[in-house]
Amino acid sequence: MGPRMVEGELPGRYPFYWTRAVYSGYGRGFYGGRGGGSWATDYPKGDRQFLVVLKRLVRLNAYDWENAVSLADPMIRRFPVIYAVEVGRMEMTDEEVAGLRSYLDAGGFLIVDDFWGTREWQVFEWNMARVFPERSIVDLRLDHPIFSAYYDIEEVLQVPNINNGANGYQTHERDGYTPYVKGILDDEGRLMVVINWNTDLGDAWEWAESPYYPLEYSTFAYEMGANMIVYGMSH
Amino acid sequence: METMFEFLFKHRGIAFEQGDFAFGAPGSFRLWLGIAGLVAASAVATYTIARGKSTVVDRGIMASLRVGLLGLLVYCLMQPTLLISTVVPQQNFVGVLIDDSRSMDLDNEDGTQRSDFVAEAFMPGAGTLFDGLSERFVLRFFRFSDFADRIDGLGELTFDGTHTHVARALDAAREDLAGVPLAGLVMVSDGADNDDRPLTEALVPLQAAGVPVFTIGVGDEVVEPDIELGRVELPRAVLEGSTLMVDVVVTQHGFGQRSVPIVVSDETQILAEETVELGPDGEPVVARIGFELEQGGSRRIEFQIPTQAGERVAENNNRTAWVDVRGEREKILYYEGEPRFEVKFMRRAVEDDQNLQLVVLQRTAESKFLRLSVSDSTELAFGFPTTREELYRYRALVLGSVEASSFTHDQLQMIADFVSVRGGGLLFVGGHSAFAEGGWIGTPVEEVLPVILNEPQTTGPQGHFAEVRVLPTPAGLAHPAVQLDAELDAVTARWDSLPPLTVVNPITKVRPGATTLLEGTNTDGITVDRQIALAFQRYGRGTSIALTPQDTWLWQMHADVPLEDQSHESFWQQMLRWLVDGVPDAVSVATDQERVEPGEAVRLVATISDSTYLEVNDAGVIARVTSPSGMVEELPVEWTVEEDGEYVVEFRPSEMGDYEIELEATREGSILGTDQSILHVARSDDEYYSSARRTSLLQRVADETGGRFYAPENVSTLPEDISISGAGVTLTEEHDLWDMPVIFLLMLILMGSEWGFRRIRGLV
Repeated sequence: MGPRMVEGELPGRYPFYWTRAVYSGYGRGFYGGRGGGSWATDYPKGDRQFLVVLKRLVRLNAYDWENAVSLADPMIRRFPVIYAVEVGRMEMTDEEVAGLRSYLDAGGFLIVDDFWGTREWQVFEWNMARVFPERSIVDLRLDHPIFSAYYDIEEVLQVPNINNGANGYQTHERDGYTPYVKGILDDEGRLMVVINWNTDLGDAWEWAESPYYPLEYSTFAYEMGANMIVYGMSH
Repeated sequence: METMFEFLFKHRGIAFEQGDFAFGAPGSFRLWLGIAGLVAASAVATYTIARGKSTVVDRGIMASLRVGLLGLLVYCLMQPTLLISTVVPQQNFVGVLIDDSRSMDLDNEDGTQRSDFVAEAFMPGAGTLFDGLSERFVLRFFRFSDFADRIDGLGELTFDGTHTHVARALDAAREDLAGVPLAGLVMVSDGADNDDRPLTEALVPLQAAGVPVFTIGVGDEVVEPDIELGRVELPRAVLEGSTLMVDVVVTQHGFGQRSVPIVVSDETQILAEETVELGPDGEPVVARIGFELEQGGSRRIEFQIPTQAGERVAENNNRTAWVDVRGEREKILYYEGEPRFEVKFMRRAVEDDQNLQLVVLQRTAESKFLRLSVSDSTELAFGFPTTREELYRYRALVLGSVEASSFTHDQLQMIADFVSVRGGGLLFVGGHSAFAEGGWIGTPVEEVLPVILNEPQTTGPQGHFAEVRVLPTPAGLAHPAVQLDAELDAVTARWDSLPPLTVVNPITKVRPGATTLLEGTNTDGITVDRQIALAFQRYGRGTSIALTPQDTWLWQMHADVPLEDQSHESFWQQMLRWLVDGVPDAVSVATDQERVEPGEAVRLVATISDSTYLEVNDAGVIARVTSPSGMVEELPVEWTVEEDGEYVVEFRPSEMGDYEIELEATREGSILGTDQSILHVARSDDEYYSSARRTSLLQRVADETGGRFYAPENVSTLPEDISISGAGVTLTEEHDLWDMPVIFLLMLILMGSEWGFRRIRGLV
């Protein structure tokens, strides 16, 4: 792995930084000095693991380490692709709402993952309505370019968390029986937010090396991850 | 002065210039030299012997005065003679060439017109020169402007010609009078020549034939008060929506350094208005005006300065130019070696530009590519083009962060040829695998680049990385590609407001002949190892550009940039439009003049190449010319032989208006290509520009042919001057010079001086 950024270092040495969106909320995530919250679920192991495999699949000159930036921090505008997990536990501050809106309006791309069922959907939907009261969330069909930006994806699988996947339990959580890939479009019809609902790509990335976690799910998760990043960097 | 000369020397100066000098007394020159020596010696001896009270100096002065006096007497005894060749009356011809152009109708400062002189001087029976000339010579009159021809009388003059072609006029008169004894040519003109043909070409045959040209300059040497809007250069064709930056040269005489507006308009609206502060008398100032052309088609662009009170020539306050605004969609290939945000944001910046098709080929893994905005499923299916035909379909090429080693040698040579042979635009964008860091040193592409690549420096495991604030250089401020604001005064402020970018390719030098438009300084505002941010050079038929920052997308995404700011979009639209500007097609046609007069010959020049841009000499080329009234004429265009791939045909439009030209080139039954052009047929205003009398040109014509230049007020001696010029059928006349008053005057002075000297010194 390459050297880590030191405190206060200007990002930009690498074309790509896999960046977590830090938002306010409640939940189980926890990460050292940055405090906890659902944003930090699987952080930083999941991020590092994802980058190791991703860089073997895609010719991506990416920073090897995790990078987390608050939605309210202007620095987030230096990272045009960001990743948010467990958004069913999200409760953004007004500053974060404004930060995310301007980020997306300027051309940023948000990948959302790992939230399940109706209640979490409602929480996320409520938060996004604060960001874009005028925009609706739409389904992305399989003929959308995001499904062919790198791999040709012909079916959206439900990716279980590590516990369910490794133990051969059900793939769903709560009432999230069907996986969806949805999106929010800008005025020109360009995708600003890609939403992976009722699925947990992050766990599949994090636990791909586990012999107990089914390869089928981690393969799909990496395919989807590669497609979302290549798409987010080119469209 | 001349009258005094003539009184003292019996003849005018020109007689001595034209004539030969001789002595009429018998005996050799040596004999007379001996006699003069004896006389001088005797005079000196006389003063030496008879000393009296005089000193040596006194005797020396008196002896010198006496020797001078005796020398004059000996000179008279030698019978000095001036031999002048004089024409035989009515045996010689004189051609009178009269400027028939529009500028002859301009007013002089005294209220008369330049053409008034013609009537005063050459009206049969009443003209001051006509009588003097016609007594001695047979006169032939010519008029000249765009062309030159014989006229029978002054009534045929119109003073409406739109050009003054002095060289062509001299040629025409010389050729017309080649079979007759010619004593000389007389040219009446303001000398405001606007022919592009070298004058020397017309003067050499006249020198060889011994024909002197006597020039008469009419009009004021300085036309004031007057403002003149100088030549305006515009590209013949641009893409719809292009911003043009046009330099307008303005000169004034007699108005002082005031400010005047320049208005740019087309047929329907005002496009721009700029105020220019005029310079001192006669000193041109340059005003830069920017404007956008949005509507397609042939557009007539007019530049105008309002006529000022009291201005002498109002017609030279306007300039008209035509621009073919094309609505084509220009195809650009952007090859990026890895996923980078430049791809996303560059695409977004130009997606609303209907005239640009940015085809992206992004390498996402080894031999795996993401293709965007391709025309069909086969385009770039196997990655970067491997044949010239495939690459040359694009008009411009953008190379991102991609290492040179990923190309074959032939592909690298193709990229170099894309610029030099095909004439395409190449833009090299900074990145980890670009420039020297990408191993481009030593490749055929290296010398195409406008910047000098140095071996990458080892500055740590991560290489070079610096943040730079990008600002335009003086050349950049004047270049349309980096004008981020329609208001020129606001351009610098716009650049100042943009956030800094980062560079990973340290580049500090450009090649000789390259131009730097943007420079990077550190964020403290102090230049440290000046980073070349944007530079370009012409290379062969094309242009290569280096843009060294790696993340111009920050101008869109950075938190300091307001969401409504369009700097990033403007920058890339202008950059890519610049990249395709002027890129030639395989088949192209243009006229050698943008605007001609009805009846004036114009050449259609076509360049024909095949799909690999190799010139073709055996093509069948047809030009379909459609006149403004709809008449269609098909003209075969022939290969010139002198130049590979160049085909030419000449034609003369007869109607006023726009002629449409469609050219088609075929070879072995298949079409090589087609192209269109427009020819504008209209009256020219050239005569109103630089319309002051050009004495220097007329003087040169006279001097180099053995003639003489005259202003209207001293032209009365012209007939006699031609008589003694020595050209034509002549007789030699001998004129005694011993009785010139100047000799007697000198004698009196010498005698008086000696007498006076003796009185002063008490030697009488």
